Amino acid sequence: MRNNNGKTSHLSLRLWLFLSVFLVMASLCVIFGYIFIQGGSELSLSFLTNMPQGFPLGIDGGIWPAIVGSFWFTTIACIFASFLALPTAIFLAFYAKTTRIVSLCHFFIHSMAGIPSIILGLFGYTFFVVTLDFGVSILSGGLILGIMIFPFIEVRVEKTLLEFPKNIMQASISLGITKTWTLFHLILPGCIGNIASAIALGGSFAMGATAPILFTGAVLFAPSPRSIFSPAMALPNHLYILVGQGVSISKAYGTALVLIILLLVLNIVPLVIKMYRKER
Amino acid sequence: MKKERIFVWTCKAITLLAISFLFFIFLFIAKESFIFFQKTSLLHFLTGSRWNPIADPPAFGLQPMICATVYVSLLAALIALPIGVGMAIFLSVLAPQKIQRILLPLIDLMAGIPSVVYGFVGLMIIVKFFETHFSWSSGESVLTGSILLAIMILPYIVSTCCESMTKVLHHYQQTSRALSVSKWHMIRYLVIPSAKKAILAALILSLSRAMGETMAVMMVIGNSPIFPHLFRKAETIPALIALEMGGAAVGSLHYQALFAAGFILMFVLFAFNSFFFFIRKRIEEGIK
Repeated sequence: MRNNNGKTSHLSLRLWLFLSVFLVMASLCVIFGYIFIQGGSELSLSFLTNMPQGFPLGIDGGIWPAIVGSFWFTTIACIFASFLALPTAIFLAFYAKTTRIVSLCHFFIHSMAGIPSIILGLFGYTFFVVTLDFGVSILSGGLILGIMIFPFIEVRVEKTLLEFPKNIMQASISLGITKTWTLFHLILPGCIGNIASAIALGGSFAMGATAPILFTGAVLFAPSPRSIFSPAMALPNHLYILVGQGVSISKAYGTALVLIILLLVLNIVPLVIKMYRKER
Repeated sequence: MKKERIFVWTCKAITLLAISFLFFIFLFIAKESFIFFQKTSLLHFLTGSRWNPIADPPAFGLQPMICATVYVSLLAALIALPIGVGMAIFLSVLAPQKIQRILLPLIDLMAGIPSVVYGFVGLMIIVKFFETHFSWSSGESVLTGSILLAIMILPYIVSTCCESMTKVLHHYQQTSRALSVSKWHMIRYLVIPSAKKAILAALILSLSRAMGETMAVMMVIGNSPIFPHLFRKAETIPALIALEMGGAAVGSLHYQALFAAGFILMFVLFAFNSFFFFIRKRIEEGIK
């Protein structure tokens, strides 16, 4: 308190804040810079479009089946998660009668979000693979990824719906228009951009996940999948195998870069939607 | 009107289905582990110090893994908390709007980097650093795992703290400005004391994320089921499950033991998450 006016005041506070900002930014730059610089030289058209080759597998060739596999896993996860999340969000935002039900549901959804991914993998294995007999397949892996991103999407969609101007719903009700009509003709069209963003971000989360599909859908090698009942390769698992078994570090850099670029693309979708809507 | 009723009932049914998955997860993990606990006592499982599922008779002692999980996570939270809180203060109080608008999405992006990529980078940078600069037999250690985990949980700490600090700031900003209180004084005597609960919430959230983290930790910690030491290899519960699940036959004692380990992890994290949920709720109510 004594020297509260000079530039030297709160020196340790300044030092602490400066150091923390520096450390966070440095680690962010190191991670992205490292992957981009090391992976950049590995990236080529043949790496993207070829099958993995050589022995041990992956030491040569490309990652095409892993890209296709990841795309399938992510698509199924997004469809299943949206199927669960949109009605849940609509119910909690507009139709739930008491706040007690809403906060109870919020608690359950929050608990689901807190389940670690490896436990989801265990559950997926006993439930989808063994009990429902879907086998190790894109379907099993996609469904478990869908359960993983369901809370993520639901929370964001519900927030969007609640932030939509309340007077529209009130005006509709006082005009004798049903809630459902207002929802489908006025509110959902207004929120569609934010809903799509939430799904895209959820998709990026699913695409990077390894543990849930480790024993439910991803395999060491598979050709580009023909049906959702066959197992497939996935980018994060391919990366894990390349690194964990020391197959090829240079191919691992390339795979990591491709994964990061795909995630960045999915993360940019919301920004593009926002800009597009502003222009209109 | 009939259509409306059908729609509302469909929404209700799907909500119920979504939430029932939580119970399914709990039930299926519990079912397998209870078969295990009928054969081995819970106390033995938690305190036994040997893990050797293929020995005869097999030994299932989870104690080294429990200790390693707690050790790595606590150390990571200890490293990450001051950095994350500092960053949150900078973002909410000092950073101009423009910088805030660039940095916040970057922090979110950091949370979105897949854990295998973190593990890979950690292996190539942190593990290599310890191997070349210190004369350790292997760079894979509890310390390496905690440093990597600390980086991974930073975004959760920053966003949890930043959210509540911004609210506190809005509450006091006009009065402080009118009294011409310096920003630094405000941080020291207003923002930090009133963010105590938010920091506690961030700590709990980050601990629960850290304890459940699988791939990144598994790639840098060495994975040997021995009692953890700061500079030596160790193995966490998620890593144990991820590594051994592929080799365990469905229905075998080993398979059930892995489910039991998962059940204990899930139970602890459920408690942590519930605690976090209620603290955050109280913060929100307190500010309103």
